[in-house]
Order: sequence, then structure tokens, then C-alpha cells
Amino acid sequence: MTGTMTGDGRRARLEARGVTVRFGGLAALSDASVDVRAGEVVGLIGPNGAGKTTLFDVICGLRAPDAGSVVLEGADITGRSVHRRARLGIARTFQKLEVFGNLSAVDNVRVAVEMRRRWDRSPMRPLAEAAAVLERVGIAAVAGEAVAGLPTGTARLVELARALATNPRVLLLDEPSSGLDDSETSEVAGLVRSLCDDGLAVLLVEHDMSFVMDICERIFVLDFGRIIAEGSPQDVRVDPAVQAAYLGTEAAPMNGHRQAP
Amino acid sequence: MSPNASDAVGRAERRDTAADVPRRRRTPVPVRQAVVLSGLAVGAVVVSAASWAGTPVTVGNVGGMVVVGLSLGAIYAVSASGLVVVYTTTGVFNFAQGAVGMYWAFVYWELRVNRGWPAPVALALVVLVLAPLGGVLLDRAVMRRLRNLPLVLQLMVTVGLMVAFMGIAATQWQGDRGRTVLPFFGHTGSFEVIGVTVTWHRLITILVAAAIALLLRLLLFRARLGVAMRAVVDSRSLAALNGANGEAVSATAWAIGSSLAAVAGILIAPESQLVVDVLTLVVIDAFAAAAVGRMRSLPWTFAGALLLGVGQQFIRRFLSFDDGFANMHEALPTILLFVVVILLPQAQLRARGVSAQLARRTLRLTDVKESTVGVAALFMLVLAWTGGTLPFTDAWSSVGINRGVTMMVTAIIMLSLVPLTGWAGQVSFAPLAFAGVGAVIFAKITGDTGSAYGLVLAAALTAPVGALMALPAVRLQGLYLALASMAFARGFELLFFTQTAVIDPNRGGRQFAPLSIGGWELTGTGRGYLLALTVVFGAMVTGLVALRRSRWGRRWVAMKDSEAAAATLGINVIETKVAVFVLSAAMAGFGGALFGLQVGTLNVLQFELLVGLPIVLLLVVGGVSLPAAALFGGVNTVLFIVIKDRWDYSWLSALEVLGPGIMAVVMVLNPAGAVAEIGRGFARFLPWRADARAAYAAEVAANREPEPGELGLSRPFTAADMVATERALSVANELARPGHDGAAAAMTVERPAP
Ligand SMILES: Nc1ncnc2c1ncn2[C@@H]1O[C@H](COP(=O)(O)OP(=O)(O)O)[C@@H](O)[C@H]1O
Ligand SMILES: [Mg+2]
Repeated sequence: MTGTMTGDGRRARLEARGVTVRFGGLAALSDASVDVRAGEVVGLIGPNGAGKTTLFDVICGLRAPDAGSVVLEGADITGRSVHRRARLGIARTFQKLEVFGNLSAVDNVRVAVEMRRRWDRSPMRPLAEAAAVLERVGIAAVAGEAVAGLPTGTARLVELARALATNPRVLLLDEPSSGLDDSETSEVAGLVRSLCDDGLAVLLVEHDMSFVMDICERIFVLDFGRIIAEGSPQDVRVDPAVQAAYLGTEAAPMNGHRQAP
Repeated sequence: MSPNASDAVGRAERRDTAADVPRRRRTPVPVRQAVVLSGLAVGAVVVSAASWAGTPVTVGNVGGMVVVGLSLGAIYAVSASGLVVVYTTTGVFNFAQGAVGMYWAFVYWELRVNRGWPAPVALALVVLVLAPLGGVLLDRAVMRRLRNLPLVLQLMVTVGLMVAFMGIAATQWQGDRGRTVLPFFGHTGSFEVIGVTVTWHRLITILVAAAIALLLRLLLFRARLGVAMRAVVDSRSLAALNGANGEAVSATAWAIGSSLAAVAGILIAPESQLVVDVLTLVVIDAFAAAAVGRMRSLPWTFAGALLLGVGQQFIRRFLSFDDGFANMHEALPTILLFVVVILLPQAQLRARGVSAQLARRTLRLTDVKESTVGVAALFMLVLAWTGGTLPFTDAWSSVGINRGVTMMVTAIIMLSLVPLTGWAGQVSFAPLAFAGVGAVIFAKITGDTGSAYGLVLAAALTAPVGALMALPAVRLQGLYLALASMAFARGFELLFFTQTAVIDPNRGGRQFAPLSIGGWELTGTGRGYLLALTVVFGAMVTGLVALRRSRWGRRWVAMKDSEAAAATLGINVIETKVAVFVLSAAMAGFGGALFGLQVGTLNVLQFELLVGLPIVLLLVVGGVSLPAAALFGGVNTVLFIVIKDRWDYSWLSALEVLGPGIMAVVMVLNPAGAVAEIGRGFARFLPWRADARAAYAAEVAANREPEPGELGLSRPFTAADMVATERALSVANELARPGHDGAAAAMTVERPAP
């Protein structure tokens, strides 16, 4: 199978095609398709409950879709298990933290590095490598501390470091800035940009609109499990369907937490 | 029922299937289930045909089977429905259900038989007053505190309660034989229908179960409180917010559960005997029945229970097994439990968010150097003790040495749970089953030559048995795994160790020659053996300390903290779990071989499920993730024996179960484990542990009363705080929905009205 050529002819590194997921009677995703190319940051936004996290679960293999497929660099990986996909280069962070609370920060990352050594044959010293990743994310200071006791924002950065340590080809970030303060947020933004410059493909779910608008080249808008808009930040911002989805939020544009009408 | 209400029920069911244990993948045609079921049916037919006893299939025989089977099944159903009510409303799975019933059956005996009260008065007092009160008390004192503990500890505390109740009953009613409770209306009270004798007792039993089924149905679907109870099932966090109401619901559930346990215990006492172990193990039947109902459906639970009762009677009446399988009817619930567990769909990896199980203070890992120093000190201590240079000089008498050996062997077997349960988070109640397999293998292969290679072989050959148990384990999580391990242990007890080919009951005398290592002869009870065991134990502890610091140790802990996240790093969760089960089985098998050397002769009783429970509990009380906790556990095991022997009071007679049971229940107050606490207190006096001193100072500062005017916000917002906040927010979400009346609230809250 070959990957779909996207608009400007670059091949998508990762595609989700026509993904549908149902929970009982509720369709969390209906025929949702997204794609992300190498070196690109793609935003995925939408109100709470739109299905963003569910889509991430489908891409990384934690949930089998009722319909649709996941394609990595042209190869259909829909049937692969979570760990196989990870070894193929899909890494993610979690909206609700999934840190290894009983391990220290550096050990959280080290577990990832040690696993990577199994398929990535490059010579390395896991501990040093893990420390380097922590350094890159900016939390080397807490390397020895148990993650359970760390502030939420820092724990989020540990998750980010852990995902990076797998040396991914596609990185899925689920609300990376929640719990982070402003300076940490801008550091993460800088980091994501530099990762993309190195050729990583990043798919990002985020409620902080200025963060998204700043950093993303393209944005997908999800509502009720459907993709209702796709395009550049400018296009999406003025899209009437998007405005309608974020109902009553003209005053506070798209903060993601919709008030009851 | 109003359309609105039925809608709410429908929604609740949807939530049940989608969002709660067990996680299931929805396949339109459950092919695997169908294959397994038909395979089992064929197997059952083949086994029945092969073991057909030749009893004539007459109306009388079949009718008798049905009547007795239904009445037995009715009892299991009553007990199991108590289990289900408590589990669905409070989230705590009560392993002590059988033991509670056992206790109230004894109380009933005391009043009815020993004091000669009239049956109705004794019954009413026990079932309607004492048992519910006891349930409420349990809820208040223990169960409420369990809610925020990790599952491993929840399970251990209720198992502790089970063992404690056994100890209490054995203390209160000494001499566990010869008591009988007469059936209602005596043995002779019976009538005949179409040639089938029905005793009044059995008829009453069946009627009582039917009445209870009806009452529970009415309570849960009509009464206000019952509706509240079901609401708790739908949304525990929502109910938790309703403070007082939630407490009333929880107390009611425990009162009902306890009362149902009492009814079951009193009804079954005349059918079996008034014996602590027997009545306690009724809980296995209840587990199997509840598992058929997937722990939440009462009708299916009843169906499972009745099937079980009739199946047991079928085996007793129409089949005959040779000696090794003579327990087949007793093993049926175990088999059923296993079947259900195998039929359960694969547990899905699932992101759950950080859970409350995060320990705020993670212990610093011991390093190999420290551990070496520690075990060297231990060896010197044992050396001095066996040499008679320490107080308690009867130590070097043969009794003392034997106790020392018991301590070390127990500690070694306990060590097998440290990686499995402590690091990888896989609950197992079956360490003694593995130990038994190791002992048997050692006895068979090299026991009478005394070759030390036999020990290695015992470990190596027990390892595959661990893989066997990992089969259900890789598919299950939490509670179902714990149940599977219990079924596994009980199955080995009833069907494996009973085989003459495995342990020959007629073979007396020592099955183990003294061990010869490098020209030394070690008899299983000698001083040299104790010293050798100390060395072995020390080496294993140090090896585990190193393993915990290795990538396997980290991987296991990571998998325990989040299987989903571990998998997204490329960790093959199945492979990783199998590895830890294999390691654990090998260690237990090795320990079992050493145990065999000590006792000389193997018998079935040594490896029973119930014998193994105190061992598991004492390790957990010490702190299941710490190798040093095994020493704590070993010391305590022996300590209880010593106390009992030294002060020969009759009320101490059940101390070996009472002690561990109570310690495990008290653990609810100190989940980190005793060794961890002791270690934390002690570490700051070690010269090289500046970190411990700093941590201590920080703790003192944190516990200091805040100065007036000082805001309590200086503390960082931790992951655990986030859990609490998330929970509160989700509750707020549900409440924010207009007329919050159902389960799907969280899904729809942000949506504008269509
Ligand atoms: N395990 C589940 N069971 C039932 N419904 C679920 C489950 N997980 C998510 N949902 C529902 O699916 C929808 C999408 O959820 P999610 O992907 O978490 O949204 P988002 O991340 O965009 O906020 C929501 O309505 C949510 O309630
Ligand atoms: Mg989400």
C-alpha cells in the first residue's frame, strides 16, 4: 500500500484513515482522517469529548477502531500491537498522566532507552542517554526524584522525555501544556519546533489556543467525532463551522471549555 | 417502570459493559468462547463416560441429585450474592465472605446448641442483628479506609480478615471438631415427592435463597436506598461526593453482605461440618458463582451457583474417580472459576491516568554493597545464635535449629513474591503450590542421592509451571488474577498433590537424603543446614537487590505503574509478565525443595492454599517490594510459633493464623509496609545516609503546624493532587448536567443541547 500524497506532494508519515470508534451507542469517532508529514507539527483541536484522545489511542494501538486504518509511512499497521507500533516509531504522551510513579525521573526515561536498545542497534549507554534526554527537556534537576512526588507540570515533562527517548518517528502529544507554567510552555514549544527541524512528525492535541496557533502548520478540528475543518491556523480560526463548534466562545475564543448555552 | 427510568437502566448497562472491569473487546461472534465452551462440554462428557460409577439413572437418583444440588447451590448463591452486592456498591471484593459466614455459623451454634436457645430466636439475633452490626463495624473500621489503596493491598487486607476470622473462631471455639448443627426440623424431617426424599432443611434452604433473590431484586430496583446503591455502581465518584449518602450506602452493603454470609454459613453447617476451614472455603464456591455473573450480575450469579451445586451432586452420585481425583466434586468450583477466567476476554491495555496508588515517598533503592553488608551481618548473627553465644540459648537445641530452618525456608519462599507481586504488581496466592511442585520434583529426581544439582533442577523444572499460571495472568488484571491464583493453588491442593504418583501417602520415612555439597553433609535439621540456608538467603536477597536495579527490575515496576505507557515504549507486556512468573516459580520451587529437605517427608497438607495465605500476608505486611521484608516475614512466622509454644495458653492456640491475619488488617493503616517504616526511621542514623536525614528534616518541617497567616500553598502540586482534582472535576462535570440522572453524564456534559 502506498501513502496518500498530500497537497504539496510530500508523502504523509502517518495517516489515520476513516477511523470510527463506538462506545456502546455513542460514536466517539466517525470516519475521522488525519495525516502528518515528516518535519511538521499538526494540531488536533476540538471541544472536550470530541474524540481527540480516542484518536490517539487508535493511532498508538491502545484501542482497536471499529472501522478505518492507521498507516505509517505507507504500511498499514492497524493490526499491530501497541509495543510493535512503538518499535516502529510511534510515541505518545497521555492527557491523564501515565508516568511510572514508583521510578525516579531518570529511570522513567531509562526504561524507554533500554527498550530502544533492542531494536535500535546504535551503541549507547542508557543512563547517560536518559540523562541527556532529561537535560534536553529541561528537567535534569529532578532526575533522581520519584515522579509520584513531582509537580504535575514536571511529571508531564518526564512523559515527554520518556516518549522522546524511544527516538520516535511520530510523536503524539496529548495536551502537553496543561499543568505547565508560561515559561515551561514556551520551552516546550521551542523543543517541539526543534524536534520538527530534525524531521520528526508531531501530532498535537492542545487547549491552549495561542500555543496551537503559534506552533502548528496545519490544524484539524474535531467535533462530535468528526473532522469538521482542516487547514492553516488562519483558515481554521475564521471557519464558521469551527466557530459554531466552539459555541458561544467568541468572547473567549476557543478555550475549549464550552459553557452551556 | 417509567420510560425515563428504563432509559437510565439502559445507559447504566452500557456503561457497565464499556467502562468497567473486565475490559473486553467486542467481537460480534465470540468464536473463542464458543470453541472453549464446546471443548469443555466434550471434555465433561468424556470424563463422565470414563468415570461412570454405574449408579442407575432412576427418578429417585436424579431427583435426589437435583434437590440436594439445588439446595447446595442455593447456599452458594446466597453467599455469592453478598459478595456481589458489596463489590458492586463499594468496589471492595471481600475474600473474607466465607470466613464471616463461618464465624456467624459458630455464633449460631453457640446460642442454639451450646446454650440451648430456641432456633428462631438464635437465628433472628444472628442474621438480623449481630451479623449486620458486624458488617457495619467492618465497614467503619477497615473497609472504608481501603478505597484509596492500591488493589494489591485491598486484596491483602480482606484476605487478612479472612485469616483473622479463622483465627478468632479457632480461638473462641477450641478444638475444631465434633460440633454439629442439626438441620432444621432434625434429620428425620422430610417428605417424599415422586419417590424423591426432600428434607425440610433443604426445602427451607431453597426457599430462603429464592426469597433472598426476590428481596434483593426489590431492594435494588424499588427501594430508594437500592437505587442509590446502583447509582454508586454507575458512578462511584458521583456517589462519593454525596458524602453521608455514600456512607449509608456502603454501610448498608456491608450489613447485607455480612447477613447473607451468616445465612449461608448457618444453612451449610448441617450439610458439611462445623469446621473452620471447611466453612471458610465455601467462599471459593461463592467466587466461582460470582465470577459467572462477572461479579455484578445477580441473576447470573444465582445461575452459576445452582449449576455448581447440581454439578457437584452429579459427580458425587454418578461418577467415581480413583483415589488421586477423589476430591473432584470439591474441585469443581475451582475448575469452574478457571473456566470463567479463561473465557473472559483479553484485558485491554488501557490508559487509566495516574492512580491513587502513587506512593508519595518512594524508597531509595538499596544498593548491592549495603545489601552485602546486611546479609553478612545476618550470617554472623545466625552463626552466633546457633553457637549458643546469644540469649535464648536453647536456640542450638534441635528444636531451635529447626525453627531457624523454618524461618529461612519460609523467607526464601516469600522472596519469590518480591519480584512478582512487589515489583510487577501481579498478585499471587499460590507460592506454596510452586514450592510443593519444587519439593516433589526434588524428591523424585535426586532427593535420595542428596545431590545439590537436584535443587537446581527443582528450580528449573518448576519454572514452566510458572509459565502455566502466567497463561491466565497475561490475559487478566487485578482481581481476576488474584482469583485465578487462588483457584490455581486450590486446584493443586485438591487434584495434583493428592496423586499417589506425586506424593505417595503410604510412603513413610525420609524421602530426602542429607544434602552433600563439596564433601559436606547437610541434614535438613542440622546447624550446618541453617547456616547454609542463611548464605543462600543472603545471596538471593543480594541478587534481588541487583535485579531491582537492573533493566528487568525497572521494566517490571514500570509495567506495574502503567501497562499502557510501558507498551507505548515498546515493552511487550505479555513477555515481561511471563518472565516474572517464571522467575517467581523457579524461586518458590527452589524454596520448596529446601523445605522438603527440612521436613523429610512430604504430605498433601503442607501445600494447602490456606497454609500459604499467612506466608503471603506476612510478606506484604513487611512491604512486598522489599527483599528484606521476607526476613521480617520469616521471623514473624517463627515468632508466632515460639510464643505459642512458650506460653501454652489455650487462647494462643490459633496464633499462627490469628497473628498474620490481624497484622494484615492493621496494615490498612500503614500501607508502605513495616520494613519500609522501620528502614526509614533507622536510615537517618547511618553515617552515610545524609539523604535520609534531609528527608526526615523535610518531613518534620512539613508536619509542622502552619504559622498563623501562612498559607498552606507552598507545597508543590503533585501528581497525586492532580488525581484528586481530576476526580473532583469529573464529579463536577456530572453534576453540571441538568437533572443528572444517569451514567453517560460525563460523555455529554460539554455538548450543547441538540
Ligand atoms: N472507555 C470509554 N468508555 C465509554 N466512553 C468513552 C470512553 N473513553 C472515552 N469515551 C467517550 O468518548 C468521547 C471522546 O472522548 P475523548 O477521546 O477522551 O475526548 P477528548 O480527548 O477530545 O476530550 C467522550 O464522549 C467520552 O466520554
Ligand atoms: Mg482528551
